[in-house]
Amino acid sequence: MERLRGFLPLLVLAVVLAIAPMVLPVNLVNMGVYALIYGLAAIGLSLLMGLAGQVSLGHAAFFAVGAYTQAILVTKTQVPGMLAAVLAVAASMLVALVVGLPLLRLRGHFLALATLGLGIIVAVVARELEVTGGTSGIFGIPKPSFLGRIYDSPQEYFWLLAPFVVIGLWLAQRLVHSRTGRALGAVNDSEVAAECLGVNTYALRVRVFVLAAGYAGLAGVFYAHWLAVVSPEAAGFELSVTLLLMVVLGGLGTVWGAVIGAVAVEALDEGMRSFIPKLIPGASGEVQLLGFGIVLVLLVVLLPGGLAQLWARVTRRRGIAAATAAVSRAEHDGNDAAMEYSGLQALSRLLAQADVTESGSPLLSIRGLTMRYGGVTALGDIDLDVRAGEILALIGPNGAGKTTAFNIITGVLQPTAGTVTLRGKQVQGRRPHVIATLGATRTFQNLQVFGSTTVLGNVKVARHLRSRSGIFRGMLGLAGREEREIEDWARTAVAALGLTEHADRPVTDLAFGQQRKVEVARALALAPALLLLDEPMAGLSGTERDSLAWLLRRVRSAGISVLLVEHDVDAVMALADRVAVLDDGRLIALGEPEDVRANPAVIAAYLGTDADDDALVRAAAARTVPA
Amino acid sequence: MSDLLQLVWSGLALGAVYGLVALGFVAIFSVREIVNLAQGEYASLAGLSAISAVAAGVPLLFAVVVVVPFVVAVSVAVERVAVRPVRHMTPLVSIILTLGISTALKAAMLLFWGPEAKALPAFPGKDFVFAGVSVRSQELWILGVAAVVSYAVVAFYEHTTAGKALRACAEQPIAARLLGISPRTATMVAFAIAGFTGAVAGVVGSPIYLSSWSSGLTLGLKGFVAATLGGLVSFRVAMLGGLLLGVLESLAAGYGATGYRDAVAFVVLLLVLLVRPQGLALKATGVRV
Repeated sequence: MERLRGFLPLLVLAVVLAIAPMVLPVNLVNMGVYALIYGLAAIGLSLLMGLAGQVSLGHAAFFAVGAYTQAILVTKTQVPGMLAAVLAVAASMLVALVVGLPLLRLRGHFLALATLGLGIIVAVVARELEVTGGTSGIFGIPKPSFLGRIYDSPQEYFWLLAPFVVIGLWLAQRLVHSRTGRALGAVNDSEVAAECLGVNTYALRVRVFVLAAGYAGLAGVFYAHWLAVVSPEAAGFELSVTLLLMVVLGGLGTVWGAVIGAVAVEALDEGMRSFIPKLIPGASGEVQLLGFGIVLVLLVVLLPGGLAQLWARVTRRRGIAAATAAVSRAEHDGNDAAMEYSGLQALSRLLAQADVTESGSPLLSIRGLTMRYGGVTALGDIDLDVRAGEILALIGPNGAGKTTAFNIITGVLQPTAGTVTLRGKQVQGRRPHVIATLGATRTFQNLQVFGSTTVLGNVKVARHLRSRSGIFRGMLGLAGREEREIEDWARTAVAALGLTEHADRPVTDLAFGQQRKVEVARALALAPALLLLDEPMAGLSGTERDSLAWLLRRVRSAGISVLLVEHDVDAVMALADRVAVLDDGRLIALGEPEDVRANPAVIAAYLGTDADDDALVRAAAARTVPA
Repeated sequence: MSDLLQLVWSGLALGAVYGLVALGFVAIFSVREIVNLAQGEYASLAGLSAISAVAAGVPLLFAVVVVVPFVVAVSVAVERVAVRPVRHMTPLVSIILTLGISTALKAAMLLFWGPEAKALPAFPGKDFVFAGVSVRSQELWILGVAAVVSYAVVAFYEHTTAGKALRACAEQPIAARLLGISPRTATMVAFAIAGFTGAVAGVVGSPIYLSSWSSGLTLGLKGFVAATLGGLVSFRVAMLGGLLLGVLESLAAGYGATGYRDAVAFVVLLLVLLVRPQGLALKATGVRV
């Protein structure tokens, strides 16, 4: 049933595309051919922008590489058209891989402008090289023919294109809902959290970039055959803007939007070309750009979600009502005792798969860890071990360096000096996903939930490391069994934290304390050997704190180590096996809770005593001396 | 030898125009973290408007004095109409938005002035030859004006209270607001300054490099490349970056690769971004979670 509902809109699209050329006048069919060509490229760009959150202002570059390769192969060599098309798409993807490897290390504005630069370089190279025919380009590209049928009228070409667009859309849609799509969505919401759950964000971005180039390359192949000419304009900035507008107008984050946007933009293009000269006599050239520019600005200001947002507004009324009813039903039906019991079972099941080492040996050891920001020492020469199967609490006043230590251990920050050894491997300065692969993951003091998805969707991301299917299996839908396993484990983790009734709600609808629990469920679903929790009690009620403490004891008895930063000293003392106290970037005490509680240095750090004032003054004086 | 000097000299003049455009990028980015892709259009708009004014009989220098405030007003209007109403300004949104503004401005110029490139008459002065290098008086105007404007912009941002307040807005928006600095006013002032430097670049550059509806794209991009050299926050490095870029382009064109001239800037951009994305002049900044 679920599968069927996904297919229905595609089926409708296929039928519409099949009938359209028969009923529409030829000039509209001709416009439709362009809409389909650009729509194909826009689907790829939509994956890149909507799913991976990366702007490409030079997407026409890949379009042009595909178009030129096809044109050269078909007109200057004996390569058959079909093989040429495969080679042309491969060429686009290869170029994307070569430039993507270095470029995708960039972010935001810089990536956007770098791709823009790339587009201009490709246009310049196409204009200057002999093989690409200089400014006039390559002409005389024949219309394709298969099985004795020549696709030379708009109607025929439309029919040739339509299946590619429908299949391209179907594959893209599959990808969005696959393991890869889920991870990319997470990266878009919170890159650092996705990384800490083992998602190699850089590698994923490169892959989607290459895939998007493949779509553009294929569109370029169709463009070359249809126009019969490829000139440097194919790499032009105007085309990149047009593709971007299609994606934005259709709605970022939905691949359907790209196709709808392509039709809308082509219609706008035609409309403006005939309308503006009527309005302003003598206007010539790329006057339709006026409309594009105004529409882009209006979209950002008034309808940032594009046409998809409009559609959602119309259809959601029913949706919301149904969802609220379901939630309130769940809340009424929820039998607490039964829930508790199933949660318990779920937890046992979850913990049973923990990938733990023998108890007692150091799982994590930190030596000489130092972090300086300019002249300020946030952490100075810290030595600390976390043994397998213990709860170690890290406490200290605000600004003591607890979160800095967490960030270094999990790879979010690079230390100035010192080593972090996790399960015998030195990991300081490695990326967070490498550390997650070794079995250490974390929660965040400032919540980092994946806001675009549900509670369950958040937890599913944590199964990324424990599953394997890549872009192609995802696109072809060959990961069904793995998906069911992921779903199963994610539901188990959600149940273990008592969140079952909220599993299918958007995570941002939950209260703050519950979102903290989602982060804990997410971390546990990864099946870690070391769990790092940054203030997990903050924002929880008394009962919730008790049940979290109970849960952490269960986690410990399953052999998982817990490193805990917490402000609630009483809770820490009751829970932890050992307590480490940081003050002003230094480790001032480490030991069993009772000993630490009695330690005068700790009391001084928390309360401040007269005897300590002198030392404080000296320390402060020492710090202000330039290093 | 004199060939080389000649190329460097014309490169410096061209680079000063890039540098002026780059100042505009920095002026906005250092306050609001927006890369204003319409920056180059300000220069085209100023050049074309001045050409029309002169054609209508307005004396050249007077036309220039009128046109610059006009473009400043356009830039402020852009901020009011398009930038201010946007609530969640992410890099993605700001790029799409300013791309839209730039596209609309370009098309409007195409409608109004048509597709041909035009030149403003040269500013008063005599061309001469110095040490084998032929110097156009317009080039002296460009370099002189660029020096004065960049000095003034740096002085404003770094040595006046108002200028420092603008930068405070970018670094600590809430703290700045608590101190009575309105981020709105700050953004508006930043757009005004960006309009000013863009317009100046347009009017001083037009006699040599011409103005057309579409010249803003490459000009803006090259200004952006120059600004990137300074991590988008250093005015000094942005201006120097512009000069460097101009010289590189001039040398590339002079030594045979005329067609590839426009690609030089982007090769530099890619190299800079890959080697030191935070700019040549700055320390790395940390992430906070």
